[in-house]
Amino acid sequence: MSFATSVVNNTPIFGKMIAVDKSTGLEDINAWPALMIMSSFIWLVVAGVLGLVLPATQIFQAGEDHYYTAMTLHAAALVFPFSVQLMMGVGLHRSGGCVGKAITGWLPAMTWLTMNLGSAILTVAVLMGLKVSLMVMFPLPLVGAQMGVWSMSSVIVGFTGIYLVLASMILFYPMLIIKMMFFGRKRAELVLSERSLNDPGMLGMILSAMVLLLTGLPLVVVGTTLLLALYHILPMSMAAWAADPVVFQYSFFFFAHNLMEAMAIMVASAIYATLPLYLADGSRKLFSDKMANLALWILLVTSITSGLHHFITFYPNQPAALSYWGSIMSWGTGIGAALSIFTVFATIWQHGLKPEVGLIAVLIGWGLYIFDGASAMVTSNIAWAYQLHGTMWQSGHTMTVVLSMAMMWMGILYHHYPVITGRKLDPALGRLYVRLVTVGSIGVASVMLMAGADGMPRRIADWHQEGWMLWGNLFMVFGLILGAAFLVYLYSLMKASEMSATMGRQLARA
Amino acid sequence: MLDSVFTGWGAFWAVIVMFAPFALMGIYIVRRKSVVDTGPTSLQPSEFAPIEGVWLTIAFIFFVIVNLAGLKFIPWAAAAPSSGVGPVQEIDFTAKSWAYDLSSRQIETGKPVRFSGRSSDTQHGFAVYHPDGRMLFTMLMMPNTTKPTSVVYTFKEPGTYKVRCLEYCGIAHHAMQDELTVVKSN
Repeated sequence: MSFATSVVNNTPIFGKMIAVDKSTGLEDINAWPALMIMSSFIWLVVAGVLGLVLPATQIFQAGEDHYYTAMTLHAAALVFPFSVQLMMGVGLHRSGGCVGKAITGWLPAMTWLTMNLGSAILTVAVLMGLKVSLMVMFPLPLVGAQMGVWSMSSVIVGFTGIYLVLASMILFYPMLIIKMMFFGRKRAELVLSERSLNDPGMLGMILSAMVLLLTGLPLVVVGTTLLLALYHILPMSMAAWAADPVVFQYSFFFFAHNLMEAMAIMVASAIYATLPLYLADGSRKLFSDKMANLALWILLVTSITSGLHHFITFYPNQPAALSYWGSIMSWGTGIGAALSIFTVFATIWQHGLKPEVGLIAVLIGWGLYIFDGASAMVTSNIAWAYQLHGTMWQSGHTMTVVLSMAMMWMGILYHHYPVITGRKLDPALGRLYVRLVTVGSIGVASVMLMAGADGMPRRIADWHQEGWMLWGNLFMVFGLILGAAFLVYLYSLMKASEMSATMGRQLARA
Repeated sequence: MLDSVFTGWGAFWAVIVMFAPFALMGIYIVRRKSVVDTGPTSLQPSEFAPIEGVWLTIAFIFFVIVNLAGLKFIPWAAAAPSSGVGPVQEIDFTAKSWAYDLSSRQIETGKPVRFSGRSSDTQHGFAVYHPDGRMLFTMLMMPNTTKPTSVVYTFKEPGTYKVRCLEYCGIAHHAMQDELTVVKSN
């Protein structure tokens, strides 16, 4: 039994949700992904509770200190150890089954360890007083320490945690994907559904890994320099270039923006890979692989530089040309999305659809992702950016893109769950989850955009100004519905019924 | 009419206009092909091509129209020298956790004002709100930049306009506010 299987199968409550079935002979593609998926659900509970704490601190006027603590922890837990880790876990299992290569050795171990250890260390730093929000508005951490708002120790601990999380996403995970795709020995017994790199689902997986690796490298260099200076290994004079706010912000936003874009490319590739499995005529073909791949390439090329839209409202201390470029490229992603939409709808129209719970959950997540894409394009228009930047619109956009991707991966897990655990999920609970998550996610996304349109600032600990508490109460209502949806989902994992290993394997290959 | 489109709420309705056709089409197609008629369509793949062409053309034209219409509302384009709307009042300010040091807080209606700001510590925002609660514009300041961030704006109505920082800057961020008084021009 591998270390990962042992951790999962011996973890109380959460381990029961995705306990690895050792009888299938597929432990080499199941163990580490199962551990990542299980860990992501633990962080989902943390993020969910903290998400509800945010409006609660406003309703009960609990004070800004609690608000900013919850805000920093909620966003960090939701994005990195929950959503990104879920994507890694399900995506790795799927890739392993497509190329027939084991997910074993030090790379998956380091991917999991750095993500969870880093997130735990960041949590400790926030509890020590560091409240920097999800987006590190450098040099805020250092300024806060200089002003005595939080300690320098909390900054060092926080940067260590953030650095480990970045190492997981920028280095270890992309290296693992590249290793699986291009190197290593294929094992016939691990192949569940063979795919090549010409397949849109696989192409998206490799493109997103490359985006993370290449656009994240400058941030790794900047982060390493700063961290070495904070630990007094490098003199501060040698780290001054990295501590320049302009240098830091460019490297940070090029990565942070493209992290979201990489996840978006994964979303498109995930639906390309999943939809054919549920076509009514059993053809298992997209309407056009060429169109699907073209959409991925357009998304890739346009999204890489669309992140310049983060600097629109700095004009003229940042060049207007960058703003125009970022705006045009952001709307260019819409062309890729339009192609994707056509491919998905044409595929369904051409072959019919088996509306199983997992696929419907994927389609709802994809619909939410399209909704979010529209909001992202609108806020990237320069005129609208001056009306929206810094408002709750931006928080709504970030949360919705993360939520939509998580919903898609949770839907995809319905397909892979039997082969990992040897158990099957209850479709009635699945349908309840889909109904609740649809209402909750569309509700909370719409309300956050409306609050932004109304001028409500993001990340402020006083929602009572200008009557914004109306939006706060609505966040709470839809947040509770969303929380109920996730509880139903986790409960359905707990209550999954046993099935024979053979049947599980047949289902996975189906 | 475009004045109301390029506002916060205009942005929200623009999202709805873009999303609603997708959502309605999606619900129709999924329902029809999973419940009403699950069989393969009689349409040949080649017959989809004109539909795809029309779909992409509509999307492209819509994207171009929206962005061309928005050019007039970009603050720096509206205040460009060729527009003949040069600023007549200059307000310089420095943002520092958690207050603004403004060179003036008095403004006259109908006269373009150039707001030029810098930050002396971390990133800050400078968003001006109409007395009715609408946000008029926002700008961001990063420390250590050679140029200030600036916006030219012409106030039309007298009143007290609130200024808020919209970039998270620490535990008193929500209290980083100021006020501008706009009076009727003589």
